[in-house]
Amino acid sequence: MASIDTAIYVKPPSRASAYLDWLQMLTGAGLIAFMWSHMVLVASVNLGVNVMNTIAHFFEATYMAQVGGPLIGATMLFHFILAARKIPFTTGEQGSIWRHAKMLHHQDTWMWVVQAVTAMIILIMGSVHLWTVLTDLPITAAKSAARIQGGFWMLFYLILLPMVELHVGIGFYRIGVKWGFVKADGRKKFKRSENILTAIMIFIGLVTIIRFATLAI
Amino acid sequence: MSRQLKFNIFRYNPQDPASVPHADTFLLEETPSLTLFIALNKLREEQDPSLMFDFACRMAICGSCGMVINGRPGLACRTLTSDLPAEITLMPLPVFKLVGDLSVDTGTWFRATNSKIESWIHTDQEFDPGAAEERMENALAESIFELERCIECGCCVASCGTANMREDFVGAFALNRMARFIMDPRDKRKDADYFEVVGTDQGIFGCMGLLACEDVCPRSIPLQDQLGLLRRKMGFIALKSIFKRKG
Amino acid sequence: MAYETFYSDLVCIGAGLAGERVAVEAAAAGFKTILLSLVPPRRSHSCAAEGGMQAALGNCAMGEGDSPDVHFADTVKGSDWGCDQECARIFADTAPVAVREAGHWGMPWNRVEAGKALCFKGGVCFEVDEKPEKQGLITARAFGGTAKWRTCYTSDGTGHTLLYTLDNKVTELGITVHDRVEAVSLIHDGETCQGLVARCLKTGALRVYLAKAVLIATGGYGKLYSETTNTVINEGGGQIVALDTGLVPFGNPEAVQFHPTGVVPTNILVTEGCRGDGGTLLDVNQERFMHIYEPEKAELASRDVVSRWMMHHIREGHGVPSPYGPHLWLDIRHLGEKHITTRLREVYDTCRHFLGVDPITQLIPVRPCHHYSMGGVRINKDGYAYGLKGLFSAGESACWDMHGFNRLGGNSLAETIVAGRHIGRQLVEYLKGAEATLRTDLARQAVAKDEARIKRIIAGSDGKESVYEVRNAMQQVMMEGVGIFRNGTDLQKAVDDLQVIYARSKKVGLKSSGIGANPELAMAIKISGMLRLALCVAYGALQRTESRGAHAREDYPARNDRDWLTRTLAYWRDENGDLPQLEYEPATKVFHLPPGDRGYGKCEIICREEMSE
Repeated sequence: MASIDTAIYVKPPSRASAYLDWLQMLTGAGLIAFMWSHMVLVASVNLGVNVMNTIAHFFEATYMAQVGGPLIGATMLFHFILAARKIPFTTGEQGSIWRHAKMLHHQDTWMWVVQAVTAMIILIMGSVHLWTVLTDLPITAAKSAARIQGGFWMLFYLILLPMVELHVGIGFYRIGVKWGFVKADGRKKFKRSENILTAIMIFIGLVTIIRFATLAI
Repeated sequence: MSRQLKFNIFRYNPQDPASVPHADTFLLEETPSLTLFIALNKLREEQDPSLMFDFACRMAICGSCGMVINGRPGLACRTLTSDLPAEITLMPLPVFKLVGDLSVDTGTWFRATNSKIESWIHTDQEFDPGAAEERMENALAESIFELERCIECGCCVASCGTANMREDFVGAFALNRMARFIMDPRDKRKDADYFEVVGTDQGIFGCMGLLACEDVCPRSIPLQDQLGLLRRKMGFIALKSIFKRKG
Repeated sequence: MAYETFYSDLVCIGAGLAGERVAVEAAAAGFKTILLSLVPPRRSHSCAAEGGMQAALGNCAMGEGDSPDVHFADTVKGSDWGCDQECARIFADTAPVAVREAGHWGMPWNRVEAGKALCFKGGVCFEVDEKPEKQGLITARAFGGTAKWRTCYTSDGTGHTLLYTLDNKVTELGITVHDRVEAVSLIHDGETCQGLVARCLKTGALRVYLAKAVLIATGGYGKLYSETTNTVINEGGGQIVALDTGLVPFGNPEAVQFHPTGVVPTNILVTEGCRGDGGTLLDVNQERFMHIYEPEKAELASRDVVSRWMMHHIREGHGVPSPYGPHLWLDIRHLGEKHITTRLREVYDTCRHFLGVDPITQLIPVRPCHHYSMGGVRINKDGYAYGLKGLFSAGESACWDMHGFNRLGGNSLAETIVAGRHIGRQLVEYLKGAEATLRTDLARQAVAKDEARIKRIIAGSDGKESVYEVRNAMQQVMMEGVGIFRNGTDLQKAVDDLQVIYARSKKVGLKSSGIGANPELAMAIKISGMLRLALCVAYGALQRTESRGAHAREDYPARNDRDWLTRTLAYWRDENGDLPQLEYEPATKVFHLPPGDRGYGKCEIICREEMSE
């Protein structure tokens, strides 16, 4: 053969990329499941203060909140570190992806930019939220309402809510198409459903925030 | 009523010390069934003979004329101006090295990448001129052809977020090519061999799933499905190896 | 004057199928090989071949009983006895091996599917029963001028797929490829070819390649015509550098093929496979007409014959009027959606994207247009160019000459890898015996000469003629005077006009700066060479006072085997002259098949004197 190098690098076979990609997807999927359950829990206040308190109490009595809460925090951080392998941190890379997205007029590319940006915000605000809630157990509707009615937290959650829902919704869509669970012919429909789902989630979230804001303490 | 078309075209001649990257504006009367192939040749022949761009087959099968047309990578030869607004902005494909103006060096890039992924049938079997051919199901031949239709125009690479950020990413074209070889029983490579080539962050796990490749591919190659398939396959090969090691 | 020099055993000018196939043979034998190409090899015009390649495998039911002998006879009849029968024999015998070899390298040939299937011929449906024992073997489709279904294919992307398969092989062997390089002149000492001067189309710099052997595989010279299916790079670069030596003849320049089904107005090819698979040609009344002229073969007579009848039918007033002149219709609607979207996929895409026509429900506007160059660098049966040692050629650029005056559909793709394989092996033998005495002094002289010429063009020292105007004038003359139907008056006028345009071409000066990969300069460097080729074509056609294959003289309608069973050899010996010197040689040294009736294309034949058997 004409092109045999006399010296080559011998690289041990590595499966790290594959494992990390699995973990990124699985942590992502786990967090999506958590966030949607979380929404159900919080939104239960709309059905009545007692409904929410009962559910919250259940999680605390079984120590799921005390153990699960920090676990979720850790998963979130882990997921961030995994996904950060793909997020541009150098200015050069940020410049190229920004120019690229602006040039391309391509929805899925913009969606990814949204994912990357919301990731940063969620990392900070989500941690703050976790810390605040977990250092002040038990969770009750009254305490949540009091926080919201303070004013600052209202604004805080009005920002965090869409960030989380966008990130989760897009992430859900991305897992589906990236791993081939959703085929090309189903993609358009899947994307539309995902968008609708995100909108519904944000809507429920807003209703819930309003509910807390107007809840008599 | 014919439109007056306004072309904003990226200009830069790297061989000319006096040249700096800029955009030139050209005006052209639109004629019926005008394609960018005809338009650009008119501009070169009538307005600026130094204008550099690439065409060969002019029928969308050689892949020479990939360029960014109003923001989207596509084949200029089969783009009708009637499908575009009156103002048309043309840029060279990103990722690839610039030869000049709209012309980029896709040849070197694709050859290097094809070499890297070992894009050929690996077999120990010697060809026997006297023997009948090995049999194959027609359906399989057609499936291979479906992926083999890629013309290496570079649109998928140019529209890829990862490829734009990271030089060593092989791009959807290469992953599709590997999928084609994995499907082909004549290629005797084993799972581990394929994994070594594409089971990395330069390969399938570098793909972030933005799917611009799928959306711009002028040949409508099923890239999304092939990428999904490849990710699962490579993922499971890695998982299996955990259990193998334990066993 | 600084220039880069590359040394190699073999340099191939052109990296389409023929060039790559030869390179594979040389590299596999351990010889250093460099492939030069105007474009990345995978963008070569080979990729535009659609319908398939002929090889007598005889696997499909309609190909049963086929053999290289039948293929050989079809090829000779197709050539109107203008071919070299030794080459046609080598070709027909080797084609099946070449097809299988490509399959071994990964070519996804379509395969036989056992059982009954519905097929069409001339718009009429009939049933074919494929045998179970043939299941999974390489299948074939019908093409024009063939006795059997013999054209092996992958959908209608056969050229594309074959080119990628071969380029994969080139990648595997690690053969050096320099793309975007254009040959400017050959370096030789009057006896042996030493290499070439080339221009880098990335930087504009001249460079030198010195090698024991040089192969020309640059394809045809279709861009002498404006209406052609050829790519924009088929400008005859290989023929120009060979002719310019004054030593190597241009064989049968006047043998130019017009394809029946170029799309109107873009001249994009729709494959002969459309008619092979049962498509029909319709006139303004949407009625078939080919069966009237050719009762036996109808739409599937050879290309020269179908093209002529189509033009005849249009001249009789049966064409469909359009802003681009009258045309005819190609009808493949009855083949059905599944067939069209799988086996005629490119046609389907082309029609929709370039015409806005859906061929499943609509008719395709077609008209004959220039398609193929049977003539080229004259070589012997082993690929050695006449007149210069160490120079070889293969594929469409060569006049090997298995096509004579008309090439059968499916025989060009086949020629690339069959001749490539055969000539590659002969070239390896040559290289084994060749010692290099590479003359750097000749290289220096050649570069100096080319550089001086280029400087004059950039500066406009000889004039300020626009290269594009000169080219357009040439193409127009060729279309008008040297087309499907030819006659003495028009040909004489064409030659006269071309001489005037040739003089203008020597006065071309640039409008732009000429710095770097300047496209105007690239065209200006070769324009006078293109005119020399055009003059060979027109003058060769003027002198050939007979009709044979694609060369149809209205003033000499008979095929004249008595005087013209010959091959034209055009030399350009006088650098300052404006006409080639024509010589002739017998069309073939041996007759396996004596001249006779083709079985299609009514034509009077003037018989040669009885030969002693």
